[in-house]
Amino acid sequence: MGDGEDQGDSQLRKFQKELSAGTVSLALLAVLAASGEPMYGYQIAKTLERFGEGVLSGKQSALYPVLRNLQAAGLLDSFVEPSDAGPPRRYYRITAAGRDTLHAWAAAWRATRDSVDSVLEGTRE
Amino acid sequence: MNTGRLPTTIPEYLEHLRRSLAGADPALVQDALYDAEEYLRSELAENPGRSEAEVIAAVASSYGAPDEVADIYRDTEVTVQTALRPPSPPSRKSALGRFFGVFADPRAYASLFYMLLSLATGIFYFTWVVAGFSTSLGLSVTIVGIPLLILFFGSVRVLSLVEGRIVEVMLGERMPRRPLYTVRGRSIWQRIGDMFTDPRSWTAMLYMLLMLPLGIFYFTLAVTLLVTSIAFVATPILVWTGIADVDVHLNGWQLLNFDGSVVGTSLPAWGLPFALVCGIVLLFATMHIARGVGHLHGLFAKHLLVKTAQYS
Repeated sequence: MGDGEDQGDSQLRKFQKELSAGTVSLALLAVLAASGEPMYGYQIAKTLERFGEGVLSGKQSALYPVLRNLQAAGLLDSFVEPSDAGPPRRYYRITAAGRDTLHAWAAAWRATRDSVDSVLEGTRE
Repeated sequence: MNTGRLPTTIPEYLEHLRRSLAGADPALVQDALYDAEEYLRSELAENPGRSEAEVIAAVASSYGAPDEVADIYRDTEVTVQTALRPPSPPSRKSALGRFFGVFADPRAYASLFYMLLSLATGIFYFTWVVAGFSTSLGLSVTIVGIPLLILFFGSVRVLSLVEGRIVEVMLGERMPRRPLYTVRGRSIWQRIGDMFTDPRSWTAMLYMLLMLPLGIFYFTLAVTLLVTSIAFVATPILVWTGIADVDVHLNGWQLLNFDGSVVGTSLPAWGLPFALVCGIVLLFATMHIARGVGHLHGLFAKHLLVKTAQYS
């Protein structure tokens, strides 16, 4: 195959990776805020998968370290419970600080999205 | 990309992941394996019709193949881990540097402080366990004793968590952040029963009893070593500044004697430089001993206070 195609592909992957670095935390907070009860890693991954395509459809193993980081930052709270299907599951739930952060982040996200959209308007053929 | 064939069972997948993560921080490896196992087992439970090999093949595209997962963990977690960790003391190459470098190690000071503190906590734990256990057990022939016994067992768990926090902060041994005794779907009475049958309740009590002799030992060791080394350092300085006299023999041989207005040492003048060197070496040795004792005590506490199978 052509070199140009390969390069375009890897450029796209790099761009997706950079995009997801910031947005995955936002998406995780949103999923946990929307769900009434604590969720464990697999459930969260599957919920995000349902929203499919785009940045969030990356490898789901990437979600776990982000969950841990959010917990370390105090935005999520976690506890472990035994399960019948394997090792004890770590459940996560959003904290009050997490909700505040989510509001701030969601506002920042909408502002960014709108401005990027309006810039992109100009490039449309 | 593809190194070797794709694993077909969950243990194989985990083994593959472990190999891919070789050389990474053990805590990171444990986290990664734990996350992967949770995902794989959940996926398997969600798809009862499919074989383990099929599930793993499907998972390679959604969760990632072991190599990819290893890369993701190295990328995301390592950066954060290093950002959160306190700066490690600069590593010194020479033996001399290693010996004196202990003075810059916060862990040594914290351990020394823990050794001094352990007398107080040891007395408290010992008294609490002996008094609480005998009172509530003695009273359990009457109706008052039973709730007292339950409360006492609960208090032992809380104290063991508190001690765990102290040990982690001061001695640096990773201890659980929260108790994991609650199991969903068990009644309050079953939970109370669990408290009595859980061997960790009993080992925690044993730990608290042992803390009295250990605390006395740690405290004595720390105070003796500190005072001895400080006296060795202070004697030559006091003589050289003209405060103390040499060759004073009042009540037998004494390193440093305060008797009214007379401050004296039985050392001859030529022995003073040796005393200074001894004192400084002993002071640094004390820091090393404190750090060593702290490390051993951390392991000991982990053994008696932490449930071995629990994910903390």
